[in-house]
Amino acid sequence: MIGSQLKVVLAMVIVLMSGLAIVGCKNENKNLQRQALEKHENKRYNLRGQVVAKDAAASEITVQHDEIPGFMAAMTMPYKVKDQATVQEVEPGDKIAADVVVVNDGSDYWLEDVRITEESGRKSKSPALPVHRLNVGEHVPNLPLVNQDGRTIHLDDFKGKALLVTFIYTRCPLPNFCPRLSSQFAKIHDDLAKTPDDYRKTHLLTITFDPKYDTAPVLRKYGLAYLDDDPSGFGYWDFAFTTPGDLRKLADAFGLMYFEHDNQISHTMNIVLIAPDGAVANYWSQEWTTAELEGTLRRQAGSAAAAAPARASRRRTP
Amino acid sequence: MTRLLRIACIALWLAALAMPMACSHQPYLSEDEMQGRALFEDHCAPCHQGAHPDLRKQPPKLEGLFQSKSLPSGAPATDAQVRKTIIQGRGTMPAFDQRLSGEDVNDLVKYLHTLK
Repeated sequence: MIGSQLKVVLAMVIVLMSGLAIVGCKNENKNLQRQALEKHENKRYNLRGQVVAKDAAASEITVQHDEIPGFMAAMTMPYKVKDQATVQEVEPGDKIAADVVVVNDGSDYWLEDVRITEESGRKSKSPALPVHRLNVGEHVPNLPLVNQDGRTIHLDDFKGKALLVTFIYTRCPLPNFCPRLSSQFAKIHDDLAKTPDDYRKTHLLTITFDPKYDTAPVLRKYGLAYLDDDPSGFGYWDFAFTTPGDLRKLADAFGLMYFEHDNQISHTMNIVLIAPDGAVANYWSQEWTTAELEGTLRRQAGSAAAAAPARASRRRTP
Repeated sequence: MTRLLRIACIALWLAALAMPMACSHQPYLSEDEMQGRALFEDHCAPCHQGAHPDLRKQPPKLEGLFQSKSLPSGAPATDAQVRKTIIQGRGTMPAFDQRLSGEDVNDLVKYLHTLK
């Protein structure tokens, strides 16, 4: 009798355990379903940082933020803000918390739910922006750089050509930053090479934020990866480093912010088009497409076409 | 009755045993592998997961990396080769030199082994 009671109890325990296992499984399936669903939805990350600049017209604020686990290292970069009222409210110097919303494929991101956690002393004085960027039409400083072959070059060496300049560092692991910039420059190189006239009148220059690590051999290896291992491409596209002091001057001139921490470099992005006369012709720092860069570069080279032969013929005159 | 109960018990017991096996989509990860997974999410996933139409070369998916004999580059799929690729970079993949410790790289490689 006792034995059969024990069996019944045992049976009940087993039934209960089976039930739990099934429930557990269902929960796991639910989790899997939820994960699958999330793959198609936007991701949200918590951001904490300090506003360093704002562009109300473009609905953008530039934030120097802490690490955003799972999304981005600590860095300073611009973010779109969907809510116009928020852009009006925040001021440079304010400390904020916000959600970074990233679309599933990483193609777009913006800030939502921006909260000011600590106001800057905005009444007393607005914090000075770190740099004054050259205006369009101003001439760039003729600073020396060292290229991938270890040869010293100057920005003035490219006068007579439309020059597209950007800044990267070779160890940048974020696909929407340096790898994207270099990929776009590589596409421009390939496209321009198909039209020798434009190719002759244009040039690309990539400058590293990381002169300590990105020496000439490192830049050469990096450049070759984007030139399909064809070193002849370096005749059109230079990869260069400079001294930390001159790098700061160049970055200031082009309105770039960067700082190093834990062997990583946080930086803003900027592409600068320098006209054949050495003056800044255009900037892209928020949104651009390769086609837009390429088209503007070609037009700038074309607009110089009228002047270039005249200069060339003057040079030929004894 | 007792006989029926016994059969029912055995059937349910078997079902209970089989259930976790049917449900275990996610393999159990050791502490090192968990560390490796966190590093993977931070450093590898941004490029190696999702689509990146703007990039010149599409970073390969890393699932099943160690299941085939060779890596996407054609080099043999060994721990040493993967470790070298992480540290030195390869092609357009950036080097993680001085960015990840030796222990980090070990944990990453251990986690990569679990990706089927």
